[in-house]
Amino acid sequence: MKKHKKATTPKEPLSKARVPIRKLPTGVRGLDEIAGGGIPEFSFNMIAGMPGCGKTTLAHQFVFANATPKKPAIYFTVLGEPALKMLRYQQQYSFFDESKLASKAIRFLNLSDVVLEKDLNAVLEEIMKQVTALNPSIVVVDSFRTVVRKAYSGATEVEMQSFIHRLSQFLASWQATTFLVGEYVEEEIRDNPLFTFVDGIFWLSQVPERNSVVRKLQIMKLRGQASVPGLHTIRISDTGLQAFSRTLGLLGTKTKPARRRRLSLGIPDLDKMLGGGILEGDSLLVAGPSGTGKSALATQFIAEGLRHGEPAIMAIFEERPQGYTDRANTFGLNLKSPQQTGKLEILYLRPLDLSVDETMQAILDAIKRVGAKRLVIDSLVGFEMALAPGFRADFRESLYRMIGALTGAGITILSTVEVEDSFTELQFSHYAISFLTDDIIRLRYVEIDGQLRKILVVVKMRGGNHSKDIREYVITAKGMVVIHPRRTDYYGLITGIPQRTGPRKAQENEAAPEPKATK
Amino acid sequence: MRDYAQRLIAYAAQQNQSSGQDHPAAFGVCEKLREPLASLSGLNGFRSLLSRALALAGDEVRWLRAVHIKADGSLECPAEMSELDQKEISDGENALVAQLLGLLVTFIGEPLTLSLVREVWPGAPFNETASKKKESNQIT
Repeated sequence: MKKHKKATTPKEPLSKARVPIRKLPTGVRGLDEIAGGGIPEFSFNMIAGMPGCGKTTLAHQFVFANATPKKPAIYFTVLGEPALKMLRYQQQYSFFDESKLASKAIRFLNLSDVVLEKDLNAVLEEIMKQVTALNPSIVVVDSFRTVVRKAYSGATEVEMQSFIHRLSQFLASWQATTFLVGEYVEEEIRDNPLFTFVDGIFWLSQVPERNSVVRKLQIMKLRGQASVPGLHTIRISDTGLQAFSRTLGLLGTKTKPARRRRLSLGIPDLDKMLGGGILEGDSLLVAGPSGTGKSALATQFIAEGLRHGEPAIMAIFEERPQGYTDRANTFGLNLKSPQQTGKLEILYLRPLDLSVDETMQAILDAIKRVGAKRLVIDSLVGFEMALAPGFRADFRESLYRMIGALTGAGITILSTVEVEDSFTELQFSHYAISFLTDDIIRLRYVEIDGQLRKILVVVKMRGGNHSKDIREYVITAKGMVVIHPRRTDYYGLITGIPQRTGPRKAQENEAAPEPKATK
Repeated sequence: MRDYAQRLIAYAAQQNQSSGQDHPAAFGVCEKLREPLASLSGLNGFRSLLSRALALAGDEVRWLRAVHIKADGSLECPAEMSELDQKEISDGENALVAQLLGLLVTFIGEPLTLSLVREVWPGAPFNETASKKKESNQIT
């Protein structure tokens, strides 16, 4: 039987022959990751959107990040914002480097006169003349829309297409990475041939949500590389544009180690209930009503980590940092020193009008800064409430991504959530977030012997077995302390109004088990 | 700024002598600035800027009010100029250039204005305006 020659997979030779496409940094924090690594060199791109979205600023950031005297940039201005005003405003941003203008790394050239007085051919000739003379690596035409608008008044659609085609061919041949900047509305994408010609479309938008304004960026198209799809929040500040990827820059983070340690919460009896502690890289949710000690537990969790040399971040949304350090002091825990040595950061985030992604970026930056192993988010309700209304819809999705990626990287997270105690059932959370937690501890008030006491129960532990006991605890001068073995003389503890199963033991003026914590 | 303008005019005048030009040195300064400014903001942009500088300077030195900006952005000397003495001419020149540079400093800041001037007169022996010497930007 004739042997079939094994078919060669075209993959290997192709991959060896594949042309490398250099990716240029965008100069916009967060945007390289969204673009799939940067802007493909020699690509012909469009930055589009309504006025005031940050199109020109984005183009400037790219130009300032890449232009050098050897690889200069030409910034053609046309009828829109005059270069003098553009320079006046853009130099307010920290990325603006006037030495790049002095060294001719960046040149601003005005095409208004040509556009106003001549036709498309003359515009093209002028661009070609300047590009040929100056040999730029980057070309920006701002606003290209005004070129087209003027041209349409005297040119046919075919002439217009021919102009765009010749322009893109010429600039690509001259090895220039190009950005056309223009005001467009989304409806134009379908019919405007320009959007077919370009290699990349960066669409910026500005959407009012009640009293807030949300700026978004979408890469609608970017030939040759995988950009992150979807709408990403952008913010314009003194540093220029910053983009917040929907993936929070967490793609490709390392995965949990195969063998995970058990981490102490700093409450020995609770550790025992958890089978020796919480598994490293787990997400633990502590749910309970106000005053049950969620923040106390969170503080002990962080302090215990610091004792074992694990840097930490506390992202707090309700109480001020001073309150946290004071509480820790009453428990004999020192949070000030680790803050001074850079092992702990307490982020007090009241970011009204910030997006969830920006807030999470602040947390991620802090985690990176201190090399955190433990993270507290206190509380999720406060976090959500601190966001602009328009961003709340994205909250759970973004939280899910962040928690997933951070725990995947081995960071252990303790989040708190406030739930109202119902006296008929035990709610874990009104909040459909339990799907993103590995472990849940529920705290609640319970009425026993004419006293309002506190009980806790480990409801869920994904990584292993855990105690099913319902235990009473108190907040003492040492923090949260679990007291008494499980109570067998009551049933219905989790309803909050338990019933005694047998006769009440005689007791003499039983003292409240919870001494008041002193400062 | 006036001091800077004066030095710039003097430097440009020296160059004018060597190239045999006979119009006022300040007009030559504006003429030389026309190209980089027009490439930055278009010829109309340059004319607008120059007309503003001329109007401001005209408040200080009367004969400047008769100066006309031509369509190409160059300046046309008024007929009455021949009747002026050297000090009057010099005052007008200084005022015009100081106002033009002052406008540029206002719009794009001193570093960019200086780099623009250096681009036109690479050999100019001065590299800071009056504001750098802690003098006021305002023409007094």
